[in-house]
Amino acid sequence: MEAQYQNIYQDVIDRCRKGDTKAQFELYKLYYKSMYNICLHMLNNEVEAEDVMQEAFLKAFTKIDTYEGKVSFGAWLKKIVINRSLDQLKKRKVKFEELNEKIPDEEPVSFDISEIQLEKLKKTIQQLPDGYRVVLSLYLLEGFDHEEIAQILGITNVSSRSQFLRAKLKLRQMLQKEEFFEYN
Amino acid sequence: MNDDLERLILNNRHSFQDEEPLQGHFERFEAKLQKASKPARTIRFQPILKFAALVVFALLIVNQVRIYLLPEKKDSLSLGSISPEYREVEFYYTNAIHLGMDQWKEFKSEGIISMADDQMMQKEQAEFDQMYQNLLVDLKANPTDDRVINAMLEYYQTRMNVMSLIINKLKEVKQQKYTRHEHKI
Repeated sequence: MEAQYQNIYQDVIDRCRKGDTKAQFELYKLYYKSMYNICLHMLNNEVEAEDVMQEAFLKAFTKIDTYEGKVSFGAWLKKIVINRSLDQLKKRKVKFEELNEKIPDEEPVSFDISEIQLEKLKKTIQQLPDGYRVVLSLYLLEGFDHEEIAQILGITNVSSRSQFLRAKLKLRQMLQKEEFFEYN
Repeated sequence: MNDDLERLILNNRHSFQDEEPLQGHFERFEAKLQKASKPARTIRFQPILKFAALVVFALLIVNQVRIYLLPEKKDSLSLGSISPEYREVEFYYTNAIHLGMDQWKEFKSEGIISMADDQMMQKEQAEFDQMYQNLLVDLKANPTDDRVINAMLEYYQTRMNVMSLIINKLKEVKQQKYTRHEHKI
């Protein structure tokens, strides 16, 4: 038999299974921040991110009986949050494979990456086109590998890799542009 | 290639996880939670409500059927159901007919009535019963028609007259038997 994942807040999860709204609110307080940040990375909109995150929590509570404890509760919840965010992105008609923006092949002019302020980097990532931002966030910020991303987004492994490279290239270009405008 | 950028993001991952939702999100979630927990209760009641609706519906149908059938039963009550006066008249005739039949049975037990006469009487009574059933059908169809009511009254009158005629004749026969017997003594 597969070993059950021992969650730190197992008692809260168990109370949630019984429909205890207090426990549900407790669980929200424990996980809202990490889940909100995932939504924000994917959606780049504070209002939408909050809404999707909260709806994902409610969805999770209704199907909490399906949580078998094979992975951590956080990982299970994260899957729901990502799927909800993807549903929201579908409304924007975001395509993850067809984003073939013309990006120059030549190596961009190098600049000192260490000089980039973190706040500016965050802001620029958020400004990336939806398709690029989602792949880049899932890979670098949420820690999924390309196989997992391919599965989540319903694309091929190769597509995930190429989209990630394009996203990185685009980000670098945008950062360069920012630098250029700052110096001029 | 570009690994410096990748590294920069990876090394600062934690600072990408630091955004807070807009103020008041706890209250907004609490409200959503309350709202979500309420329909669950109504869903639990839904089968009961469905069952209750079904019961009410079934009762309505039963009531409709009852309403549809009951007047017919009332009609089958015959002449007496038309008015209290007719009920009295009907009671008078049926009572007289029943008394006549009782007397007939008495004579029969006394041996005054032959088997053949008894059979003829049974046949006649059956004919009267059949006539009565036909009149009932007419009465059901036209409960306010005077012709039917009159026919019903005539029927009772005739049946009673026939009955009393027979009974009186039998009384005479019985009397004659006794007087003959007395003469013999």
